Amino acid sequence: MADNSEPVTLESPPPKPLAAAAGAEPPDAELVSRVVGAGDEAAFEQLFHRHRRRVTLIASRFFSQREQMEDIVQESFTKAYFALPDFNNEQDTSFAAWLARIAFNACYDELRRIKRRPESAISNVTEEEMVWLREQVGDDRRADDIESGAVARDLAAKLLSRLSPEDRLVLVMLDVEGMSVAEIAESNNWSISKVKVRAHRARAHLRSLLRRFL
Amino acid sequence: MVGKKSQSESDKRLDRLASSLLRTSAENEAEAERVASSPFLYTRISARISAERERREERENWLTLLGVMWRAVPGMALAAVFAFALFWSASPPGASARGGFSVEALLGTRDAGIGQIVFAETASLSNDEVLATILNEDEREASR
Repeated sequence: MADNSEPVTLESPPPKPLAAAAGAEPPDAELVSRVVGAGDEAAFEQLFHRHRRRVTLIASRFFSQREQMEDIVQESFTKAYFALPDFNNEQDTSFAAWLARIAFNACYDELRRIKRRPESAISNVTEEEMVWLREQVGDDRRADDIESGAVARDLAAKLLSRLSPEDRLVLVMLDVEGMSVAEIAESNNWSISKVKVRAHRARAHLRSLLRRFL
Repeated sequence: MVGKKSQSESDKRLDRLASSLLRTSAENEAEAERVASSPFLYTRISARISAERERREERENWLTLLGVMWRAVPGMALAAVFAFALFWSASPPGASARGGFSVEALLGTRDAGIGQIVFAETASLSNDEVLATILNEDEREASR
């Protein structure tokens, strides 16, 4: 997880409307104080351009549909806008880390909302997916061809939909985002032991789900 | 012993597979890039912020009104108690003694005033007097 003021980006940096006069990009803290102090919407827009890719990437860790990702991005930035007065950059947390936490929370809320009305069940796993799964267990190599990738993605979506939102959040943060247990604990306001227990249970649950098809 | 080892091997293999599936599920960088590059994304966020601000202001107004009302309740209760006490003390001693209210007390007719005089005048006219007055008026007009 990026915890400095520079976000992880997927491509070239966004336009710099405010930095032109100063010759350099103002730091996040300065932009935040402009938004909070003077209600400077342009400063918030610049913050958005600077961090939108990181927030979208977090949303894409949990959701594959474009609409869902957009909704998470909108929700995260809206929450961040109204919570800006609470953001204190003098603490250890950078704006990027603070915003990432908001984005993870928005994803978690959305997962909980979806969980209340499940659309995909484990019974939907097709014969083709089960064959693929057996092949994967028998062979340690990871299949990288396109067809196999599509099968894996569908199967992963179906299996992960059976996990609780907390389990999924912890596993994505650990295995995909590569965050430490301490970072996850801080991000979710959980204790370190809770994160460890949750991760252990989530792995055991995922294993039991996979065993059903082997 | 052999069974435990084989179970552990199986668990490790399943964990690797689960981890691989998890990463596969999270590999949406291309779609994420398209979403992040959407030209109207900030416009939508801006609209959402405006709507949220309006909603919050509306809620704040309601809360303010509720707060004012909450503060007004004790004041109004105090005023009501005060008015009742005033009314009770203003009622005639006789009425208070009987423990009830009289019409005089309500209308305040025990005070000497125009109302009392008017009522007294009205009460002293009998029907015959009224009839005589009307007849006199008619005779006077006829004589003209």
